[in-house]
Amino acid sequence: MRFSVASTLLALASIASAASSWTFSDGTVQVTSKAGNDAVAKFSADDRVQNTLTLGHQDKLKVTLTTKEGSKAKRPHQAFLVVKEASGLEAPFPLTVKESGKGTVEITQKDLPVQLLLSQEPLEASLVLGSFGSTKGSVTPVFDFTVKLDPATAVPSYEKPLRYGKLAEIHHIFRADPKNPPRIVSVAFSLAVLATIPALFIGWFAIGGNFAHVQKALSSAPISHVVFFGSIVAMEGVFFLYYTKWNLFQTLPAIGAVGVAAFLSGTKALGEVQRRRLAGER
Amino acid sequence: MWSILSVAAALFAAAVSAVSTSGNRLLVVLDDVAEKEAYGQFLGDLTARGFQVSYETPRSEGLTLFHLGERTYDHLLFLPSKVKGLGPNLTPNRLVDFVNANGNILVALSSTVPASTSLVSLLSELDISLPVERTGTVVDHFNYDTISAAESHDVLVLDAPSSIRPGLKPYFELPGGVLAFPHAVGHVLGSGPLLTPIVRAPATAYSYNPKEQAEVLDADELFAAGQQLALVSVMQARNSARVTVLGSAEMLQDKWLDAEVAKLGGKSTKTENKEFARRVAGWTFQEIGVLRVNSVEHHLQGSEELNPGIYRVKNDVSYTISLSEYVWDKWVPFVLPEDDLLQLEFSMLSPFHRLNLELKGTTDDAAIYGVSFTLPDQHGIFNFMVNYKRSFLTNVEEKNTVSVRHFAHDEWPRSFVISGAWPWISGIGATVTGFLGFCAIWMYSKPVGKKN
Repeated sequence: MRFSVASTLLALASIASAASSWTFSDGTVQVTSKAGNDAVAKFSADDRVQNTLTLGHQDKLKVTLTTKEGSKAKRPHQAFLVVKEASGLEAPFPLTVKESGKGTVEITQKDLPVQLLLSQEPLEASLVLGSFGSTKGSVTPVFDFTVKLDPATAVPSYEKPLRYGKLAEIHHIFRADPKNPPRIVSVAFSLAVLATIPALFIGWFAIGGNFAHVQKALSSAPISHVVFFGSIVAMEGVFFLYYTKWNLFQTLPAIGAVGVAAFLSGTKALGEVQRRRLAGER
Repeated sequence: MWSILSVAAALFAAAVSAVSTSGNRLLVVLDDVAEKEAYGQFLGDLTARGFQVSYETPRSEGLTLFHLGERTYDHLLFLPSKVKGLGPNLTPNRLVDFVNANGNILVALSSTVPASTSLVSLLSELDISLPVERTGTVVDHFNYDTISAAESHDVLVLDAPSSIRPGLKPYFELPGGVLAFPHAVGHVLGSGPLLTPIVRAPATAYSYNPKEQAEVLDADELFAAGQQLALVSVMQARNSARVTVLGSAEMLQDKWLDAEVAKLGGKSTKTENKEFARRVAGWTFQEIGVLRVNSVEHHLQGSEELNPGIYRVKNDVSYTISLSEYVWDKWVPFVLPEDDLLQLEFSMLSPFHRLNLELKGTTDDAAIYGVSFTLPDQHGIFNFMVNYKRSFLTNVEEKNTVSVRHFAHDEWPRSFVISGAWPWISGIGATVTGFLGFCAIWMYSKPVGKKN
């Protein structure tokens, strides 16, 4: 019960004091510039500066005002000019306030943090007044200004601090897989190459090539011819097996065997061919 | 009989130590042991959760953090104490050693008592700065408790944190609740990745020294204001030891745990201090936010062999990792925070693949994350690396080294499966056929125009 009485009293007190709050008068913002873009603007609690001010690299921005509790000039404990960037980042600049309530603050580019200097949007300055007791504090947006950096010096750099978190995926490929031309092109060229086989045989036959002496050769040296020609075909077969599944150690003995057969039968078979040539039959 | 007793004792010990993954010996350092009465509920809650709480003052003789090189306590809780330095047993150096030995520290500060130099040095070692004069009160003329601090404005009433940062576990988030911070000390954090602010002061708050700046706040002597001021911050070291700075020790006291507070022009509400204090202490003493890797498996797709030591370039490989999270008193499957990813790096010096692991399944106490991928086309010594470091969660750094060999001579694709080689293979066929045909014609052709 006592508690509720106390809170009721408190509520009453706050209603009673709600009329008085921290305000200010004679608000002036002045830009003193060496580059010649001086500007002076006045503002009050209800009336902010309409046009955006510019703060160059050698300029000084000075805010003067008189703080008031209700209508009486008085010094509050908290009198900050808060400069805010579009992302919500704020930098407070406390005013030096005299007993009479006259307060000033000066801002140059050196006072602003890098993030605010690099802001693309105009910075918003608001005035925060507040103090102990029941008098209400106030937050009043008063003016906007843009920062014009010195074009002669390097733009201040800002590196984002490291934060643990997910990272971008990586799929690094050292060398791309070799690519094949379209299958149809390969097939067409293969067929063109294979087409040279009949072309070759047709050409040979056209200039008189034939197999007419097979009979004669087989009748005079049948075994040698069969084995010799067979060994030539077998040698190609061995090469084919080497290409498809054999290794070198399986291939070499096979080549040796086929080679010996070719040598032994070849002497006889080619002797027969030579005899035909000497007889003028070739 | 003795064996039954010892088994029972062991079981009891296991049940008690189940409270925190890193032990249950808690040392509370305060000015006067009698002061613990003020924190009865909070400390009683810790005891009920299974902590063995010891109380010491900085002046006590037998106080030591290490015995024969081993920690004698697992956790430290510093309540405000009026002594300037904490004595030879609690030098900043010892405290850093304590953190290096995986001990956790919860530092509670109060603006009514200057912080002791040991704690100031410990915190500055961690890149947390306190006001220079070791005492500073955070006031906010816009967010104060109108019931208890209508005049002095030094009891802050703030909304409980609702979204600290995307991609973090919501351990400290109490949406809709309010927290009371009586007589808080603000601190400013460095930019290191190990520090995370939990509660920041509102934009209109500022810190001042009530002794010297009671009348006028000198413009040059402002310590910090607005969001730069943190009221509760956590630090997790690389070894996953935790240090928490609580700006207001009084918020742990019984009278503030569920006190009624009212914002300016608002109705009076009950604070969530009790739940917040439970979570802050639980997190600091490793009762929540602790990860465990149960197993890591990788294998060649289509092969039964687990975790082989060698792979070939361009092998298709599957990788799975099983993770559990400790929540107060049990292990549960680890669920990733929203907007966060568990990533696998396949690295040799630097990562060549960084892939997102997907949830493949869960068991009663573990979640299995996995991914299948093709190894890069480069031989060498590679690591399967899961480097999951996040604020609020203990670090997971799992590295499994494998060799990746290049193709053996008989593992390359044969030329007949490469379509681009077909014209050349046909060429060989044509040459062979032509050669055989030429041999036959050379041996068996009959001269044209000659009669036999």
